[in-house]
Amino acid sequence: MAAERNYYTIDPEGKLQCMKCGVPLVKGKAKFLYLDNGFPVELPVCPVCGFVYVPEELALGKVASVERALEDK
Amino acid sequence: MAQIQERGSTHVYKVNKISREEIEGMVSLCVYEQPPFCNAACPLKLDTRAMLAAAAAGNFKKALQLYEKIAVFPLILSHGCEAPCEGKCRLGEIGDAVAIRAVEAAVSRFGEAARSGSIFRTKKKKTVAVLGSGLFPLFLAGELEKKAYPLTVFCEQADLNAFLRCGTEFLDEKAFQLELKRLKAKDIDFVFNCAITEDFLEEKRASFDVLCASETVTKKLFPAAKCLPDLMYCEAEKLVCGCGEGVMAAAFGAKKAALTVDRLAQNLDPRNTRGQEGAVETSLYTDLAAATALQREPVPPEGYSKELAMAEAARCLQCRCEECLKSCAFLQHYKKHPGLLAKEIYNNTQIIMGDHQLNKPMNSCSLCGQCTVVCPNGFDMAHVCHLARQNMVSTDKMPLAPHEFALMDMLFSNNEAFLARPQPGFERCRYAFFPGCQAVAIAPETVKAAYLDLCERLEGGVALILGCCGAIGDWAGRTELEEQTREFLDRELSKLGDPILIVGCPSCKKEWSSHPGVQVVGIWDLLLKLGLPEGGHGLARPAALHDSCGARGDAETQNAIRQIARQLGCELIETPYSGDRSPCCGYGGLSAYANPEVASEMTEKCLERSDAPYISYCMACRDRFARQGRESRHILELVYGTDAGAPPDISEKRWNRLSLKKELLRDLWQEETAEMKLDFQLNYTDEARKMMDARMILTDDVIDVLKAYRETGEAILDSESGLLIARKRVGNATFWVKFTQEGENSYTVHRAYSHRMQVVKREG
Repeated sequence: MAAERNYYTIDPEGKLQCMKCGVPLVKGKAKFLYLDNGFPVELPVCPVCGFVYVPEELALGKVASVERALEDK
Repeated sequence: MAQIQERGSTHVYKVNKISREEIEGMVSLCVYEQPPFCNAACPLKLDTRAMLAAAAAGNFKKALQLYEKIAVFPLILSHGCEAPCEGKCRLGEIGDAVAIRAVEAAVSRFGEAARSGSIFRTKKKKTVAVLGSGLFPLFLAGELEKKAYPLTVFCEQADLNAFLRCGTEFLDEKAFQLELKRLKAKDIDFVFNCAITEDFLEEKRASFDVLCASETVTKKLFPAAKCLPDLMYCEAEKLVCGCGEGVMAAAFGAKKAALTVDRLAQNLDPRNTRGQEGAVETSLYTDLAAATALQREPVPPEGYSKELAMAEAARCLQCRCEECLKSCAFLQHYKKHPGLLAKEIYNNTQIIMGDHQLNKPMNSCSLCGQCTVVCPNGFDMAHVCHLARQNMVSTDKMPLAPHEFALMDMLFSNNEAFLARPQPGFERCRYAFFPGCQAVAIAPETVKAAYLDLCERLEGGVALILGCCGAIGDWAGRTELEEQTREFLDRELSKLGDPILIVGCPSCKKEWSSHPGVQVVGIWDLLLKLGLPEGGHGLARPAALHDSCGARGDAETQNAIRQIARQLGCELIETPYSGDRSPCCGYGGLSAYANPEVASEMTEKCLERSDAPYISYCMACRDRFARQGRESRHILELVYGTDAGAPPDISEKRWNRLSLKKELLRDLWQEETAEMKLDFQLNYTDEARKMMDARMILTDDVIDVLKAYRETGEAILDSESGLLIARKRVGNATFWVKFTQEGENSYTVHRAYSHRMQVVKREG
């Protein structure tokens, strides 16, 4: 049930690696913040330094549409 | 670089009311929803326009359905009606009015009659009696049957045939038989051979809820009775009655009487809530220039055939005022007439909680004012949208995203790229040249040539100001920012000795003309006075002149440009919608930033007027036409024999501004500025460059990301594509760059994207 409450779930599938820490990204907890609104999400995160990756298709897709919706609030 | 603060929250619960009266006053100017002239003249309110359209298309079934809405006996009405509609038909002013009545008659003959209501139709409880015969009782019985009253007609005639004959002598036998069939199909009880006396009437009064009578019966039984013609009612006698002569009087009288029966059946005063009855005045506008078929199809004695009726109906102009919709790509895109759109935009500003669904339309208008010129009543959509933008900004409900790039561009023009200097050798100057932010960004060589020319040929010194006039802030509805820009520019102008301002852009001219005490002149006016410099030349082919929307209402500027073009040897093509009626290229009002799709349609609209090359006198027009692939030149390029070439992308525009400033400072004022050099090499694939332009990502943003990567080493490696991915939050957005690294200090950018949301790691 917890997963359903999240807005986005992106699995890194082992093809992404953090250059700084030299470790693969894992599915981790992150949060989008915009105009005083917050959304819990699961995104590829570096388990060491905490780098949160927002993939291009997500940024141009769901993230952009949520941005538009909030901007018109 | 200065930033613009994003609004803090969506949770703002205040509105600044725009005066409802002001909006209603504006909305009332739009006559789109006014009825056409034929419809307004018809007391029965026939949707003549729609009926004629259906008939013209050969859809007689639909045409008859529309006609039957107002005519219970279509053949009787169409044969006997006085046709006030034809008297008001606009075609009648320049030729023959449409033979509406003859088309109605054809529609009644050829159309498929509507089936009468279901036998299971629920009837009303109150009962009605109609006494007498003739057109009024006949029509009234039809109207009341439609309203589902249990209804009985008492008449002196011996049968239905004789009843229908009364008053319908003008019908031929075929039409009579058709109407008889129609009458038989109606759910009406008839009692024949009645001797209608006062006793008979009183007897019926006791057994029916509402009593109606023909005019003859009323006069016979109550010679002193006074019928109120608006209500068709004799109050003292409590009798719904007929009055007036002719088919139209009977049909309209029956409509009014049926409404009176409704009120009486509900024990209400028949004067109450009647709505608007009868013919009305209309202020609709019709463009008669479109009319071609001016002569009426002659009506044969037997009436129109189907073909003739279709041909005659097709002559109808379908009166509709769409003057603004014809010319404006923005209104066409939203498929709404401005009266409706203005109402919706007004409502959008008044929303306290919830979605502002009209934000995008409101920000898509180019504020160009074309609608005001083409509208017969001067409807000003630009004012509505501008007011709405200012209102939304003032309540902190306006999203920054649609306008942020343009506003940042304005700040850039008036900070890093800003330059204000007196002509070398002068402390105070008689003139100052203000080419405009777009000219510097798109055609820096032309700006330089113009400035050097002005310096050489004008007495008293010519200062140079490279910057933005503030129109961008104004268009975005950010009054405060526009005001700050205005004060800033006024201070700079004062330092230069309050010179006469020579502007190179019609929109700048408009903006600067609102500065009190500043004398503004277009460079085009000066060039005409001074004579054109050597080296200029026109285009080899005939060219279309596109008037800038900034010069709307400025005939002097429009004429000056034409004169210059002709002096240069240009053969000019005047297009439809030129001069004051010219559309915007899509840059105005920041449409291109808020809604690139609509802006692109605006550019197309400009270009569809001619296949020739375009000459314009606003650099934004020049740029947008060239981007759309059209050969496009600014008048100053022709004057100075320069060619700005292919349109620059958004980063090159900024680079051009900085480069011109640097070049002029070095060459004219002997001031060296620091080299804008990176300590690493950055290459872009063609795809990346195009992508960045479309996604409004500057090379500066990419540089910021790469710098951050070089400092922190933070990046992701996507093993599938082999690309490195780094990011940096700059201002209100996070920029992501996908790149490859070649050695220590060289990178190639493959892709870039951004989002405005902030993303953080979440604990727990």
